[in-house]
Amino acid sequence: MMNKAGTDIQIAICGSAGDGTIASGDIMKRAAALMGFNVIAFDVYPPEIRGFGKCISRIRISSQQAYSLKQESDILVSLNDMHAIPHVGEVRDFGAVIYDDHLVSRVAEGGHISAHINPAQIPYGFSIRQISEQATNSARSRNIVILGYVAGLFNLPGEHFRKVIKSKFATKAQAVVDDNTKAFDAGLRAGRAVFKLDDVEVREPAEDANGAEVVMMTGNGAVVRGFMEAGIQSYFGYPITPATSIMERLAVEMPPVGGKFLQTEDEISAIAAAIGAGYTGSRAATATSGPGLALMAEMLGLGVMAEVPVVVVVSQRGGPSTGLPTKTEQSDLNLAVFGGSGDAQRIVLAPTNVEGCYRCAAMAFDIAETYQVPVILLIDLYLSNRYETVVPSSENAFAPKPRVPLKLVKGKPYERFALTENHISPRALPGEEGLMHTITGLEHNELGRPNDAIHMTMTIKRHEKLKNAINYEGLNVSKRFGDTGRVNVGILGWGSTFGEILEAMYEAQAEGISCSAMKVVMLSPLPVDALRAFFNDCDQILVPELNYEGQFANLVSGALGRPVTRLNRAIGTPMVVDEILAEVRRLYIQGPDTQDGARATGAGS
Amino acid sequence: MNEHVKPVYLEEKLEEIRADGHQEYRSKSLPTWCPGCGYFSMAEGLTFALKRLGIEYKDVVTVSGIGCASRFPFFVNTYGFHTLHGRVLPVATGIKIGNEDLTVVAVGGDGDAFAIGGGHIPHAARRNVNLTYLVFDNGIYGLTKGQASPTSAVGFKTSSTPYENGDVPLNPLMMLLSYGASWVGQAYAGHQHHLADMITEAMAHRGFSFLRVLSPCVTFDKTNNTYANLNMAARGLPEDHDSSDLMAAMAEAAQADHPALGVYYKEDRPTLDEVMAATNRRAAGTDPA
Repeated sequence: MMNKAGTDIQIAICGSAGDGTIASGDIMKRAAALMGFNVIAFDVYPPEIRGFGKCISRIRISSQQAYSLKQESDILVSLNDMHAIPHVGEVRDFGAVIYDDHLVSRVAEGGHISAHINPAQIPYGFSIRQISEQATNSARSRNIVILGYVAGLFNLPGEHFRKVIKSKFATKAQAVVDDNTKAFDAGLRAGRAVFKLDDVEVREPAEDANGAEVVMMTGNGAVVRGFMEAGIQSYFGYPITPATSIMERLAVEMPPVGGKFLQTEDEISAIAAAIGAGYTGSRAATATSGPGLALMAEMLGLGVMAEVPVVVVVSQRGGPSTGLPTKTEQSDLNLAVFGGSGDAQRIVLAPTNVEGCYRCAAMAFDIAETYQVPVILLIDLYLSNRYETVVPSSENAFAPKPRVPLKLVKGKPYERFALTENHISPRALPGEEGLMHTITGLEHNELGRPNDAIHMTMTIKRHEKLKNAINYEGLNVSKRFGDTGRVNVGILGWGSTFGEILEAMYEAQAEGISCSAMKVVMLSPLPVDALRAFFNDCDQILVPELNYEGQFANLVSGALGRPVTRLNRAIGTPMVVDEILAEVRRLYIQGPDTQDGARATGAGS
Repeated sequence: MNEHVKPVYLEEKLEEIRADGHQEYRSKSLPTWCPGCGYFSMAEGLTFALKRLGIEYKDVVTVSGIGCASRFPFFVNTYGFHTLHGRVLPVATGIKIGNEDLTVVAVGGDGDAFAIGGGHIPHAARRNVNLTYLVFDNGIYGLTKGQASPTSAVGFKTSSTPYENGDVPLNPLMMLLSYGASWVGQAYAGHQHHLADMITEAMAHRGFSFLRVLSPCVTFDKTNNTYANLNMAARGLPEDHDSSDLMAAMAEAAQADHPALGVYYKEDRPTLDEVMAATNRRAAGTDPA
């Protein structure tokens, strides 16, 4: 699947926890981004901090837009053969396997990676440990030596790597920078001395036309950037994988600009405090994962009932319960869309890539304030931790609009929950003259006074006011890609999986299958009209998602009353492009089912 | 502290109340509490305190959880937030962080505070959030019609302890003292003027002030925390009590059977607002230190 028109290589670095695998991958992707390439990268690591768990850092470097990682890597670098051996198979034919061929101890039969390399793969053995020791008197810089080697192998310029090494270790002693630079240069010399992979060519990346600033960030980093640009004023959080890095980054970035940052005692108080702050008019947010969202469900209901704006980021991981804390899954859709007691509709946004994380996070506050409701930003571990190059918008695009204070009408009490044409009631903030009122989680009348008789009217108000959110300016709540008009197969997707869906769709198109893909970014309220139009255009609809029950498929077919074909995987890792492609081919060949059009390859059908 | 010094003449009393002006802090909604409930003293005491301290209605937010006491925000003419069971302190903390110019009064009962909300109290106390937390402790769940609470006495028969409560009650004052609350006091709903004074003092304190108010539930408790019993049991703190002495405060608080009314402990230390401001100055590199 090489992109012959330009550079498109994927490097996988595999080692044991403590080998510096992730750090090595980090330098690789930053250097590639500095060179101007598009980068998509994703690290897989064990839940333990130290010990012998497996770490893999995969980096795709391309001159064209890419949507996901490639299934096959061009290069596998082994820092630990025991962990890397099972991944030899992911290296493409004529791809390279880089390993240490200078053994310092006896290895059991089959314990060395060289015994597992396929005939079609190209072995690149060199003495990684020895070079590291010669350069820095320590085997600990093996992870930097291999970077130099890869750079040498592809004839990549060393300067970008040296720049990244310098900035990465800027807070450490100069000797650390020097040692790592020496290790890199030693690896570079070794890499330049060997024969090249003949079908890999690194070309100059395409010059960015408008000279816009391109930065590389993770989904979590993009959320933070979006929040900062939107002028986040208060943040309350509790550590939980994979959302913690949002909290850690905001803890660094908010205080210098006067933001209020507080690590709370649990997730319940995190969202409670965010709702308290949101009630005062502060741009307030929290971030968590599925288990934390479960704890927050009651408070979300209060936010809906009392009509308080608040932003909640949810980065999903494998569940239920503690589940798979360091593995990805899309199984908290039900909880995000429906979680809590009563009829409690909220707005749920599910960006599909890192750029989307940035834009949705930046817009989330204004959406929450406009519709006076909690907004959930639903992402997952794969999106949280994967790196992509992003072009941020111009400054101040998302800053809060100046508030127009409400005026008290003489002789008429202020109605916080006044029934209006667009169902949104003018909101007074505490501290504003004469507009005192009480908000409550009890059902209440226009004044906010407890009242049961008005329940139906107020329930309608709280649901109707959200309907217009699908027209929120600047937000693509859904978008169709690929062939227009009537197609054989339509792939419908949400969240991080949409990258794999797009890759599969473009490959299916290349095979001559008429197909298109649609992403749905707003999961609540659902853009039903756009979905219906898409269903009407497609003979068959395929919904691939990373969960067992088909939560998105259920949501969509429930809303439209139309059947879909499901592709459900609960495997802890991203969806495999070829599996989607195989399903598209199958649907294309088989044609629509005359019974009800639906066939299941997963459960819950 | 006996308040029955002279017969009360209603006309005279009404004049007095009108002239005072604190009633303007009351909203048009009438309290839903049972006649004789200790919580009426709370509404009266807090409005007195607001009037005395000269705080404007618009700058006050009363926050509550769930329970009889938590209906309070509806009965005062301030901004109010009636939140969820047990979550009054985190919401109140968020409000104070969202706008530190607001005067935040958190209100709740013993179930809301010490059962479902017990996990939040130590953190609000140690952070010294600049707010006042009034806990009206009647030792029973009133809104759900009379079940045992964490401060119910051993041997108390309630609808959830039909064969007598066997659990030893919590000692809220000792808890708060050990959590690092910077102002801890106790009052009694039957001593209304003293209660109003204590609420005023608690609100005047810069930092987290916790006032426990012993309050009879006239409907569901005819045996333990009755006016008759509390009138006999309640005492003043010793005249020489040193409110800067934590261990002395602990010793007084330990005498749960003879509750002393007054300020147990107070301490002047930076509030959460101030700590955050200092953090932000350090982060911005504008800290003079």
